[in-house]
Amino acid sequence: MQIFIQTFIGGVSLGAIYALVALGFSLVYRTMGLVNFSHGNVVMIGAYIASTFYLSAKLPFALAMVIALGVTGLIGAIIERVLRPLENKDFDLMLIGTIGFGIVLEALAILIWGATGHAVRSPVPAAPLDIAGIKIRTYDLVVLAIATAATLLLMLFLQRSKRGAAMQAVAMDHEAATAVGIHVGRSNAIAFMLGAALAALAGGLVGPLLYVNPTMGGTLGIKGFAGAILGGFGSIPGAIVGGIAIGVLDSFAAGHFQGYSELVTFVVFTVIIMIRPTGVFGERTVNRA
Amino acid sequence: MTQTIGTADLTAVGQTLTVDGLTVHYGGVCAVDNVSFTVPAGQAVGIIGANGAGKSSTLKALMGLVPRRVATMRLGDKDISKVKGRDMVRHGVGYVPEGRHVFPGLPVEKNLYLGAYAKPWNARTRAVASEVYELFPVLGEMRHRLAGALSGGQQQMLAIGRALMSQPSVLLLDEPSMGLSPKLVNDIVQVLQRLSSQGLTILLVEQNAKLTFEVTSSCLVMENGVVAMTGTSQELSHDSRVRRIYLGL
Amino acid sequence: MRYRIGAIAALAIAAWLLPYQLDAYSMHVVDVMLIFALLAVGLGLAMGIAGQINLAQVAFFGVAAYGTAILTTREGFGFWTAAVIAIVIAAAFGLVIGLPALRMQSHYLGIVTLGLALAFTNWVTNAEMTGGAEGISAIPAPILPVVDLSNEYLFYYLELIVFAVALAFGLFVVHTPLGRRMRAMRDDDLAAGAVGVEVPMLRMTAFLLASVYGGLAGVLYAGLIRYVAPETFSIANMFFLLAMVIIGGRQSLIGCVVGAVGLTLVRELLADYPTYAQIAYGSVVVLIVVFAPTGLAGIPARAAVAARRVGLLPSRSAGTPPSLRPFQPYEPVTAETSGRGPILQVDGVDMSFRGLKALQRVSLTVEPGEIRGIVGPNGSGKTTLFNVVSGLYKPTAGRVRINGRDMTAARSFRLAQAGIARTFQNLRLFKQLTVRENILVALDQTRTHHAWRYALWPIGIWRHDNALRTEAGEILGRFGLDDFGDSLPGALPYGIQRRAEIARAMARRPILLLLDEPAAGLNGDEVRQLSQIVRSIRSSGVTVVIIEHNMGLVMSLCEQITVFASGAVIAEGVPADVARSPKVIEAYLGDSAMSHDVPEATPTEVVP
Repeated sequence: MQIFIQTFIGGVSLGAIYALVALGFSLVYRTMGLVNFSHGNVVMIGAYIASTFYLSAKLPFALAMVIALGVTGLIGAIIERVLRPLENKDFDLMLIGTIGFGIVLEALAILIWGATGHAVRSPVPAAPLDIAGIKIRTYDLVVLAIATAATLLLMLFLQRSKRGAAMQAVAMDHEAATAVGIHVGRSNAIAFMLGAALAALAGGLVGPLLYVNPTMGGTLGIKGFAGAILGGFGSIPGAIVGGIAIGVLDSFAAGHFQGYSELVTFVVFTVIIMIRPTGVFGERTVNRA
Repeated sequence: MTQTIGTADLTAVGQTLTVDGLTVHYGGVCAVDNVSFTVPAGQAVGIIGANGAGKSSTLKALMGLVPRRVATMRLGDKDISKVKGRDMVRHGVGYVPEGRHVFPGLPVEKNLYLGAYAKPWNARTRAVASEVYELFPVLGEMRHRLAGALSGGQQQMLAIGRALMSQPSVLLLDEPSMGLSPKLVNDIVQVLQRLSSQGLTILLVEQNAKLTFEVTSSCLVMENGVVAMTGTSQELSHDSRVRRIYLGL
Repeated sequence: MRYRIGAIAALAIAAWLLPYQLDAYSMHVVDVMLIFALLAVGLGLAMGIAGQINLAQVAFFGVAAYGTAILTTREGFGFWTAAVIAIVIAAAFGLVIGLPALRMQSHYLGIVTLGLALAFTNWVTNAEMTGGAEGISAIPAPILPVVDLSNEYLFYYLELIVFAVALAFGLFVVHTPLGRRMRAMRDDDLAAGAVGVEVPMLRMTAFLLASVYGGLAGVLYAGLIRYVAPETFSIANMFFLLAMVIIGGRQSLIGCVVGAVGLTLVRELLADYPTYAQIAYGSVVVLIVVFAPTGLAGIPARAAVAARRVGLLPSRSAGTPPSLRPFQPYEPVTAETSGRGPILQVDGVDMSFRGLKALQRVSLTVEPGEIRGIVGPNGSGKTTLFNVVSGLYKPTAGRVRINGRDMTAARSFRLAQAGIARTFQNLRLFKQLTVRENILVALDQTRTHHAWRYALWPIGIWRHDNALRTEAGEILGRFGLDDFGDSLPGALPYGIQRRAEIARAMARRPILLLLDEPAAGLNGDEVRQLSQIVRSIRSSGVTVVIIEHNMGLVMSLCEQITVFASGAVIAEGVPADVARSPKVIEAYLGDSAMSHDVPEATPTEVVP
């Protein structure tokens, strides 16, 4: 039982990261109908920028994260602007366009930081806390806290702010949104930037958990994506549930199958998705012209 | 059978909507062919006709939602022919789309507030919203319900209310009675009559001729993208030619 | 045509003589290039021709390569036996990966296939059987009696032959009925189903083809390099492969080859700067997607269009401009209609979408040989009824019977096979197929499980295709579309597109034809021609049900009309009566009082 709970807790922390990645995916999909295959690599860039400023420039961890958020937000805006002519027209082509961006981002990372990658030490003391016999690393709690805060902020933004309401309106009916005065292109750009910022947050946080290297974007991206789909693509609570579920699934698979954990995770994911393609919370389909 | 009359001869007072030479092509078809009309300030004008006559395309083109060519388009003295679709509301044009198009995943109150997107959301917005609730009490009762859960008639009221939130100087409505029961259609008639008596300029596109005659003072009858007849609602409601145009005989 | 044969011959000679020009290293590069070209063709068949997102192509490659490696080194099979088994395994894998394609498309399919590819890499990196991260080395070279295939120059010839056959086969598939059906499915899978294309099985076939090509490539790779390791089958290489297909032009197999050759060369040239190469091809993918979605292969066509517009090339319509010829009526058929029972029976059908009742307890019966009109205001459920009858929707309640057979739950392609054909309110011609090809797809009634004939009896396919072409020519002639057979629908005037859609529906030789607003957007002359066509279709033994708003057409054409309002049938009968019914007038105009002095509807007979 102890091991069960330990494995579970271990999975939740990485799951929180996947949840953030899934959140970014779902946000962009829900507002633009775009599946952004470069998302994973934006996470990777975020991880690099945050860790570089933290390690080399010796900036406080929080400040390094903020810089990462800013830069990736800019990357997001660029991607949206370039692919704007395809919006609402050809989704398969947009998907491939984002794959292209992803390829470029990975190469840029290798150019700037080299191919070998580096480890990032934890910004908080590494000694794990002992709570009722379960060992929890302090950093895991930090990750959970920040992820929760980010989710709450995002939900507040979407539910309470004017821009947030506009973004949701554009997702539901972009013609009616135009009729009430919303600039659809600008709204999409903001959605993209927010998605990228969430990716950066995930990337910055994941540094101390995993080894930062240029190829990490692939796995993180796919797992985050799987989490988003599992929870119901486009649903915000779904992204959280799905992301954590993938993290826990991963953790148990690693515990029982060691190296084969990814194989197990993806096979289970495929089976679930085939049984229930719309995921746990159902797909909030974007109104496509 | 078809008479092509160009400009409707209606007197203009104050802020008026003037449209001249509106043409819309899409899908290889000419949906609207050189249509012109005027909606005098404070009056309600209708555009009726059978399905496919080009009525909805006319409104969509006015709102800039479909590509169009137009010689003149003025609201009062202001030239609005170059105004983009998303800015029409800022020039005082309120739009109630065909098929309602409320934002289904958002609550009723949020839908209304989005109608006032072009303005800051403050106490004034709250005041306008309560006026809308006064006009449509059922919306007030359901203000926290998701718009997607409302019935067709309630969604129609919401769509009208949303358009009114921007305090427009002209209201464009596209087939508000579509799919509604006669009782609900009656409710819509009451509301539109009330708005019209308060001085709102209204352009109403409808398939339901009876409803249109009750709300408007004059009408255009469209057929195959051109204006086939014009006249006061009073005259047209007794004219058998209207019937023939609808039934394509 | 002569130029083409000449060009192919020249290419073949050049390819045969190539090894004489190259040193060993360059030869090796060309050998790898051919393998990637094979992979690219397989990916192009699945993605570009059939429209299936297949991000697992690299896994098919890996399965066959590892399969060959394991079977030769661990199990002691000879190379050729191992190769055959490995390809079969890859094909089986392809079918398994194709299963998700039955349930989902587009981005879902993308992520599932990518995830399974990752799962494969994960397994291969960890399993003992596959040698883990170190892979398997010392794979024996394939043995041929006279030829030493461990020599890369000679291996090249093996690859060249395999590649040439595979490419020829691929091109054969694309230009024959199977390929056409796949392209139709890619363009519009809804309309494809309505025209009888067995979409689910076709999707599986696409993955099967992709996996066989991947398998061939994997086997050749194992024989060439004689060492397999996980890195070759990574996601990075999958994206590299994807880039080849996109840049080259996924809808053209030659384009895929060009993309493969081009990118392999670029990677070689920039071998010292691999990251710059990556930035380059990633950026080119983005540029292609935004500015030239048809890829390099599509550039000649686009350049030609631009050249014609500027006047550098003569305009296509030089000479007599193309025109619509008159319709040739069908031979009237006297069918014994008595005692045959209704051809269509709709019984108490309800259709609800998330609480919205689109159809409410709708019942109607259509007798064979009728021309039935369905009318009603906007949003009254007419098209929904068609969608239920033609199998696009499954009704929430009620039954649909065709000639007495309950077909309520049947999918659209089954209903098409049962003899239902339809047109669509918003025109659904296959946009990237010519008018002739649209008709060819509809004419082709072969079942997908006969696709084995492609591999084993291509002559039969060839003959079948020729027979289809002759028939298509007849249909084009009947409908007066001779001049437009080789045009794309998008380039044609609206009225001609409408006629082409009817021609395509009639190519199915249906027993029941559903026309959804066929007169929308047509002028007076075109409406008269439409009326003539519909009458002729009926006289050839086809029952016609037509949704229309043009009441004049409905009155003159239909013996009976059914009137819909708010999802229910409100009147049924002879047009003259129905037009005067107060309920109907109220539904349309809003006031039954306006039914006074409606003039007598005089059906105008159109002389065929």
